[in-house]
Amino acid sequence: DSGVGVDSWRGNKLDPSAGAASATTDARGMSWLRPDLRRSPGGHLYVCPAESPQMQPIGEWEYAGRVQLGYLITFGDDANGHWNRYVKWDSGLILGLLEIALRRPEDGSYADIRASRISDDDAFFQAAFGRAGSYKVEAFLRELPNVVSGDARSIWSGVGGNDLRLIGGLQPGRSSSAEVAAAAAAAPRRSLEVVRSKTGLGLDLYLTPQWSGYARLSEDRRRGARPFGGAFFYNFVFAQNAGVLETPRPVADSTINMNLGLRYAGSAWRLDFGYDGSFYRDRYTRFDFDNPFRIAPSQPGASAPPVERGQFATEPDNDYHNLRASLTRRLPLDGEFSLSAAAGRLRQDDDLIAPVNCQGLFGIDQDGSGQPGPANRFLYACADWNTPAALSRRSADLQIDTLLLDSRFTLQPLQRLHLRGGLRFNREDYRNTYLAYNPLTGDYGYIAENAAPGSILGGQTGIWNPFAARSILTRVRSIPLDQQEIAAHLGADWRLSERNSLGATYTFTRDEPSNRERRRIDDDSLKIAWSNRAWERLTLRASYTWLQRGGDAYDYRLYAPAYSSSLPGFVAPFGGLPAPVVEAMRKYDLSDRREHKVDLIASYALREDMTLSANLRGDFNNYAAQIGRQAYDTGGISLQWDWQPGPDTQAGAYFGYDRSRLVMANVNEEVFGPDPRLGGETFPDTARWWAYDKQRNRSAGANLVQRLGRVKLDAAWNLIDSRGITSFRFNSPLALAYFEDGAAALQGAFSPLRYRVDSLTLGFSLALTPRHSLRLFDYYERGRLQDWHYQGLQAGSVIDHRVYTDAGPQSYTANLIGLLLDIRL
Amino acid sequence: AQTREELARELPASDLSGGDAAQAGRRFLAAPGFATARVADNPLAPAAAPVGEKMCVSCHQLESEHFTHTLHALGLFAAAKADARIPVCETCHGPGSAHAQQPAAPGLILGFTRTSATPVAQQVKTCLSCHAGGARDHWAGSIHQRNELSCSDCHNPMAKFSGEGLLARRSINDTCAQCHNDVRQQFNRRSHMPLAEGQMSCVDCHNPHGSLTQPLLKTATVNETCYQCHAEKRGPFLFEHAPVRDSCLNCHTPHGSNQHALLSAPVPFLCQQCHSQLGHPNDLQTPASLAGGAHPDERLMGRACLTCHAQIHGSNAPSGPKFHE
Repeated sequence: DSGVGVDSWRGNKLDPSAGAASATTDARGMSWLRPDLRRSPGGHLYVCPAESPQMQPIGEWEYAGRVQLGYLITFGDDANGHWNRYVKWDSGLILGLLEIALRRPEDGSYADIRASRISDDDAFFQAAFGRAGSYKVEAFLRELPNVVSGDARSIWSGVGGNDLRLIGGLQPGRSSSAEVAAAAAAAPRRSLEVVRSKTGLGLDLYLTPQWSGYARLSEDRRRGARPFGGAFFYNFVFAQNAGVLETPRPVADSTINMNLGLRYAGSAWRLDFGYDGSFYRDRYTRFDFDNPFRIAPSQPGASAPPVERGQFATEPDNDYHNLRASLTRRLPLDGEFSLSAAAGRLRQDDDLIAPVNCQGLFGIDQDGSGQPGPANRFLYACADWNTPAALSRRSADLQIDTLLLDSRFTLQPLQRLHLRGGLRFNREDYRNTYLAYNPLTGDYGYIAENAAPGSILGGQTGIWNPFAARSILTRVRSIPLDQQEIAAHLGADWRLSERNSLGATYTFTRDEPSNRERRRIDDDSLKIAWSNRAWERLTLRASYTWLQRGGDAYDYRLYAPAYSSSLPGFVAPFGGLPAPVVEAMRKYDLSDRREHKVDLIASYALREDMTLSANLRGDFNNYAAQIGRQAYDTGGISLQWDWQPGPDTQAGAYFGYDRSRLVMANVNEEVFGPDPRLGGETFPDTARWWAYDKQRNRSAGANLVQRLGRVKLDAAWNLIDSRGITSFRFNSPLALAYFEDGAAALQGAFSPLRYRVDSLTLGFSLALTPRHSLRLFDYYERGRLQDWHYQGLQAGSVIDHRVYTDAGPQSYTANLIGLLLDIRL
Repeated sequence: AQTREELARELPASDLSGGDAAQAGRRFLAAPGFATARVADNPLAPAAAPVGEKMCVSCHQLESEHFTHTLHALGLFAAAKADARIPVCETCHGPGSAHAQQPAAPGLILGFTRTSATPVAQQVKTCLSCHAGGARDHWAGSIHQRNELSCSDCHNPMAKFSGEGLLARRSINDTCAQCHNDVRQQFNRRSHMPLAEGQMSCVDCHNPHGSLTQPLLKTATVNETCYQCHAEKRGPFLFEHAPVRDSCLNCHTPHGSNQHALLSAPVPFLCQQCHSQLGHPNDLQTPASLAGGAHPDERLMGRACLTCHAQIHGSNAPSGPKFHE
């Protein structure tokens, strides 16, 4: 259903068309009256139809079927993560396709089965039965692999579970960098992947010619692991004290999705009632992992209990309900008026995990007594924090209520004139907020980064207390993000001739977010469009959009109420509270912006059997921001050539080129001061810097299918060649994280980001009999991948107190040979 | 309403009228979806009369053979057997007599191709006479309607070109790529959703028949569309990341990216477009901060900011206001 839900298509990389591409075209074409192929109104050639199935009778029913069995062999770098990304190729027997269609012409009943299995984690089965125009029952099962890393080394056991334990003799909280590096080097290479298993059931039903209904229920289960994080404070500052881990986090959840609807379509009225429900359940509430490194105080001589464990809360179980109703009335002047309303609720009440998962003590033992207390105020008892009793409440109890109202109309007051307009109101209301308060200790705030900061620097734990830590700035409240949108549009389309029209649309949108730096953001946009099919061979659709964004004043201090500085008893530190952020920062989703956007889509019939299609687009955005995103421009062109001289030959080629350019600016601080001005004491002009990210993509490809009697040859070549350059400049080395990097020049660039994948398919098919055919094919793929984020990690995945589990994208060359036997049942 | 006998009298002799209907029509009622199917209006041939399917087939035999294996045909044939008022070909193509007399004259039959004289609005109106409402409820005024797309730009019910959906091309994605080939190419980039692999389609997110949003999203907002497959991101979370709650598109480009995880810019620069806080977020990093460089820095290497701020979509941990836990 294109109106509701997902799972609209089930295929795989072996045949994304789920069987249609490998069907034999009908040598007779589509019509005996016209040998050539027809074109759609937009000017694209319809493809040649497949041979009609030879239906065999079984009583009142008749059937046709097809099965495609085969064997695949993979060579080369076939464990590579990118090669396997969404397919996970495997050598072995496969079911390319099973397709069975049963028909009962007497009453229009039917049953269809389609299935494919190309690897353990890449398969689908679907079955449908029904009566055309009456009802349809559909069920499906599918497995979808997602290989997220093909080159991972885990220093933990239990990958995929929620309790990672160190391997290789590593001791939690006590291991040196060299010991961890040795364990990592000895760990076997493995892939990290997440497999989605989906099961679904659906019913579509015509109750009367006007009333229809649908019901769908599906379960989406995910299992696996993916690279994640694990913070134990700044290793870039405290190389031998802090720790940074890339952990393999578990993915083990399921989501039940439900869609129900009732629809009425009469001559004057249409009604549409719907309910969508989604119920997400995570197998785990938390995810714990061993920390191998010794987290030590930065102050010489001080001691701290070992920080042995880290933790994450997994995504909370959530319930989602959405009720929709839409009413449409035909109007005079060939018009329509439509009113839609929807109310929804996002709700979660997961049990909250404790602020920290340690046992014993944490923090810095200043006096060496091992006893927390006023005299040893940076040492804390885990028991005061490792229990849900240390929270202001035990469960999240959070909710967002949504409301949508939408009305729109169309009218045709004149033969050549169409008018349209609409109003939209959309609101999201947060219910409840969270206060970070520990009733056991009377502290506000939280235990930052698994207690590591407080074990390295005294008092940096993340908690505020009106007596013992009254100048500590820390978060004490959650921030509800209520928002409201009001939008209106008005447009007209003027028909210059039967196949030539001009249109203009004005749109106004007002966003009113709560607790963002701006409370009002206004967008005004005007779009002019031209659609022309009047030329015999050419179809042209072009548009230009101008958008201007503005709004009220930008308040960079907006989040102050969420911090301890808002609590009674807070005492500003000596010198005042530091500026939270430079006042010139404009977050790009809130910033003033001017946009110019052009789009052009065209198709041209070069010959009766040939089409050239083209896209041209450009989107140019300028942001009124001294600090933040300043410009983001994208543009591209693509050309597609299709040739279909007859049922035996089909060929195509394409080329695409696009590029993007992003400009941003930021400023480093020279001192931790209260001056928020750009160019002031805290953020001097000398510390300003700019970054430029330019991406370029070239795409090309060609394909040919040629039938020569009983033989069919097919070939396809595809290329994507991407290159990205991220460069920067700065006013002085004060802008840099490392002053010394600016000694030689005031600019620089990272190594190019490269992504180039060439693939070539060559296939040979032979019709053995009218019912049997054999296809031998070779699929070759070569990928050249380079991402500067992972530069140098191949030499070692442990650097100081940092562990990198994923080595990043790897280049590869792999090949797949397949033999498929196609049998018409 | 026209009786079966009246219809039979109107049919030309070549139709051999009454055959199938007389033999088989009494066992089943016409399915509701086809029960009200009638000969379509053709304003360009107001005087034309229905001729019946067999008259059409006398010239269009091969078309009929292909059409027979579609679900449209299955339903229409069965309905026509149950109720002789229900036409087959003329349900969509209008009355055929004028066309039969002058086959080469444009417009005398409702046509759905480039060279047809039937206006696109009339083509669409004909399809919507049976398919009004539901997923097509907001067709009027949608971007595809305003660009004068016809149903037959994307669908071809005359044969089974696709596994499902009576599409004009072999799959939903191929059909959309007829006009949006540039978007299709974006799915070849380094990070992408599994569209090219046949695991999902454009229609999982978009409703090409019209919706309440400009980009034809199937749900009311961008985020609701994403939550359909990424329900774990729905929350609400104890600590929210404001731009995430606002729109997933603030950081992700859904049609493909050269960065990791569909990000619109490389980290940390993606994050530094909004974060200039005192301390570490506003530092400019250079390649010397990469592994093997003079001073490796976790803020740049690997997942960069996301290594520590791993719960960037929101954290449900009481110790997660900065998305560390």
